[in-house]
Amino acid sequence: MISASTVMTGSYDYGEVVRSILIAIAASYAALDLAGHVTASSGRVRVAWLTGGAIAMGVGIWAVQIKAWLAFRLPVTVDYHWPTVLVSLLVAGFASAVALYIVSRQEMDRVQILASSLMMGGGIAAMHYVGVRALRLAAVARFNPLLVVLSIVLAIVFSSAALMLTFGLREQTKGTALRKIGSAAVMGAAICAMHYTGMAATTFMPSVAPPNLFHAVSISLPGSNGVVIVTFIVLGAAILTSSVDRQTEAEVRRLNERLEQSVIERTRQLAAANEGLRREIAERQRTEEVLRRSEDRLRSVIDTIPALVWSKSPDGSADFLNQRFREYTGLSEEDGLGEGWLKAIHPQDRASSIDEWRAAFAAGEPFEFESHLRRADGEYLWFLFRGAPLRDETGKIVRWYGTTTDIEDRKRAEEQSRALIDAIPQQIWSGPPDGSLDFCNGRWRAYMGLTLEELQGEGWQRMLHPDDRERVLKAWRVSVMTGTPYQQEERHRGADGQYRWFLARGVPLRDAEGCIVRWYGTNTDIEDRKRAEDELRKQKEILQKIFENIPVMIGFVGKGGHIELVNPEWERRTGWTLEEVHEQNLGTLAEAYPDPHYRQMALDFVTMSTGEWTEIKMRVRDGRVIDAAIAVVHLSDGMSLGIGQDITERKRTEAALQDARANLARVTRVASMGELAAAIAHEVNQPLAAIVTNANFCLRELAGERQTFEKLQEAIAEIVNDGTRASAVISRIRAQLTKDVPERAELDINEIIQDVTKLLRNELTLNRVSLRTDLDTHLPRLLGDRVQLQQVLINLIMNGIDAMRNLAGRPRELLIKSAKNPDGVLVQVQDSGTGLDPEHVGQVFEPFFTTKPEGIGMGLSISRSIVESHEGRLWAESDPRGALFQFTLPTQD
Amino acid sequence: MTEAPPIAFVIDDDPSVRRAIKRLIGSVGLQVELFGSAQEFLHSKRPDVPSCLVLDIRLPGISGLDFQRELAKAKIHIPIIFITGHGDVPMTVRAMKAGAVEFLTKPFRDQDLLDAVQFALARDRARLQREAEIALLRVRFESLSAREREVIARVVSGMLNKQIAAEIGTTENTVKVHRSRAMEKMQAKSLAELVKMVERLKIPFENAL
Repeated sequence: MISASTVMTGSYDYGEVVRSILIAIAASYAALDLAGHVTASSGRVRVAWLTGGAIAMGVGIWAVQIKAWLAFRLPVTVDYHWPTVLVSLLVAGFASAVALYIVSRQEMDRVQILASSLMMGGGIAAMHYVGVRALRLAAVARFNPLLVVLSIVLAIVFSSAALMLTFGLREQTKGTALRKIGSAAVMGAAICAMHYTGMAATTFMPSVAPPNLFHAVSISLPGSNGVVIVTFIVLGAAILTSSVDRQTEAEVRRLNERLEQSVIERTRQLAAANEGLRREIAERQRTEEVLRRSEDRLRSVIDTIPALVWSKSPDGSADFLNQRFREYTGLSEEDGLGEGWLKAIHPQDRASSIDEWRAAFAAGEPFEFESHLRRADGEYLWFLFRGAPLRDETGKIVRWYGTTTDIEDRKRAEEQSRALIDAIPQQIWSGPPDGSLDFCNGRWRAYMGLTLEELQGEGWQRMLHPDDRERVLKAWRVSVMTGTPYQQEERHRGADGQYRWFLARGVPLRDAEGCIVRWYGTNTDIEDRKRAEDELRKQKEILQKIFENIPVMIGFVGKGGHIELVNPEWERRTGWTLEEVHEQNLGTLAEAYPDPHYRQMALDFVTMSTGEWTEIKMRVRDGRVIDAAIAVVHLSDGMSLGIGQDITERKRTEAALQDARANLARVTRVASMGELAAAIAHEVNQPLAAIVTNANFCLRELAGERQTFEKLQEAIAEIVNDGTRASAVISRIRAQLTKDVPERAELDINEIIQDVTKLLRNELTLNRVSLRTDLDTHLPRLLGDRVQLQQVLINLIMNGIDAMRNLAGRPRELLIKSAKNPDGVLVQVQDSGTGLDPEHVGQVFEPFFTTKPEGIGMGLSISRSIVESHEGRLWAESDPRGALFQFTLPTQD
Repeated sequence: MTEAPPIAFVIDDDPSVRRAIKRLIGSVGLQVELFGSAQEFLHSKRPDVPSCLVLDIRLPGISGLDFQRELAKAKIHIPIIFITGHGDVPMTVRAMKAGAVEFLTKPFRDQDLLDAVQFALARDRARLQREAEIALLRVRFESLSAREREVIARVVSGMLNKQIAAEIGTTENTVKVHRSRAMEKMQAKSLAELVKMVERLKIPFENAL
């Protein structure tokens, strides 16, 4: 029976408790460490590691228990039944082995965790309670069942936790020490917690019966410490072994891997080296063979190839000239080597050649230049020298090798093509794709008076006219950029400073890919064309302006009579616009010439295009009829050009002028008649006045009473005198009118007739008299006064016109005829009037005889005086068909 | 006073015509003097008797119409009868305006010329008489004293004696004395006669006032 008063109270030695906890932690650490080895190893090693681990851990757990027991002090002596203690040690070791085995597996699932936890927890609990059986003391152990269960559960729970921690930490070698220590601490604490719980579940009741001390031992303090020390030694050995083993193992693994790698690598290298070696050997063998063979061949080749081959030492002296070279130049080996070969260079080229060589050698770069080389026969031909340096391993030039090639044909072809390019009458240029210029032919250079150097690049731009410059360069840039052909008209300055127009053209030359390789171009002199164009434009403008502004109607008529073009004056005068004319065309003609007959005449006139001027009438748009003077000429393209002038106004003016002239003539005639009358009146009235006065005196005398005979006689005598005087006055006046002293000049009467008919043309037209002339063109010339004879003819023609003025029903015709006559020249003026009254025929030449209302009767009288003063004769004849006046004039001889 | 016989002067460049005219005018008992040109006439010495001029329009040198103007300018107031070979209306008008007695166209009727001559002479006779009377009046007027002329000038312009006295600064009686003395010297029987006389003298009294 257990009662509270009988329960033995124990106390704990806390130092022992701490020690037990430390042991637990150390054991846990060892277990964790060993678990990794178990996992990493296999076979017997695994079994060894598992066994070792189980021992170490079992000892640890067991030591904890021992230590825990030792920490528990009871008021009685406690002894230990050592076989039971050993059994508990075995249980601890078994549980540890199971646990280690489980956690050392590659994988762990929940069931396994649970199972191993049960096993381990059960093992620990079993160890504990078995341990309790080992106690030999004067008391009876009683167990609190609840705490027992709790201790077992705790053992299981802590075991699972420890297992999982261990599983997570195995195979870790680096950076896990702290975690491992942490885990070990947890596990240690768990073991202790379980243990002390188990202890708490056990109570001791005092018993009078002495403990069975068979096989019992007392564990003294030193004994207790011995347990601890042994335990630590076991654990330390286990951990050390584990640690060393682990490091060694990792190192070995690493080394192994590296070794394997390098073995593979080395093997491959060896294989490659082997292959290379084999190839190299084969190549070398072949090369040697080839070399050997080619060396022989080369010798013969170098000496036989149709090229001049040489080599020179770096100082420039020749050390080899092939056979061909020597043969060609005629230089022996001794002559040619060293500087001797220079003798074959044309003296003219020698200096420049040496310069070229020197420059090339100094630069150490392959080179080429052209020079004249003397043939053995002394002729110099163009050759191309090409050389390249041979260098040793250090890059030092050891020798120069080169060839000299005959380029005479190429040179000649070049020169020919150059000459050709220079000779053609075209400016030619070319340049790289960037739009600069690097070639232009002699023609262009000569035009500009510039050298190629001055023109190259962008130098050519300086000859552009400042006004064109921007446009030209822009267009050229565009062409260069887009690759489109260039074409511009531009002015270029010549050497003389004058600009001329050129048509510049440029086209790109492209390679197979279509990239521009070069530009080629030409400049064509278009100055003359430009000038001609300008001139043409100017002329055209002038003609256009004339066409538009001249107050003359101009029209172009096509072949069918269609009006193609008319000028503004035509439009103004006719009222039709060009558009209307185009629309109506022949309709316009119909409007202008309503009478088909006249229309045809107008068309015919246009078609014939004789160029003669004629006067026409045409109806214009507003219905007026205008007079026009027109002429039509043929143009080379079959069209006709019509030129016309509206002469309506002129006609009207002329008519008005004619009227005015006629009026003036009449006024003049009246005025001169008045003058004449005044003269006559004064001159004749004087004697008449005297006569009348004297006569009146006589009458007065006779009527008087006394007459003085003498006085009457005197008066009558005066009357007679004055009568005579009056007659003389008339004669004098007539003489005055006929001019006293006529001029005498050689003249042609036909000319006078023509002059007069011209003067009187309007007079004739106005009176609708048609004039016919029948003139003998072979008349002798005569002496006379031109003005007086004109006066006579005017008189006769005017009389004829006057005679027909009131003629009706008969044609009014006037015939003027000149002919040779026995007396000299005969001139007749014949009208178609009613003729002279037979009884007047004798009177017409008498002064003051007239049948005309405004006539004074002097015309014919004076005319006769004039003709007579020319020693000619003027007379009239008449018949019913008209009057005929005629006069003769003696010729010079 | 015995009257001198009147003279008709004839200027015509035609001697035949001159002679015929002299014969005609002479037949009615008048004295006739002939000239060939205007110059001849001007240079001749002409008696101060009633006279007239028969003048041809067309003359050598100066024309008849121009000569008429020159005579007027020279204050030779001789009546002129124009004769012309042919006259026109403007010419006639001009001549008549300038004071011509007659304008005759040759050949003229004898009586026309004679009538014209008689008329012209009568007019010239009257002119001469008028000129003689004025000359007499002028002599009388010359005899007036300066004071008397002053008074007469005012009397003629219609002023009363009293006004005249006040204007010339004297008494009415003195004016009366001057007035009656002047009228006496001028042989004017009435004031009206005096006024007429002064008018005929054409004295510019306005200056005297």
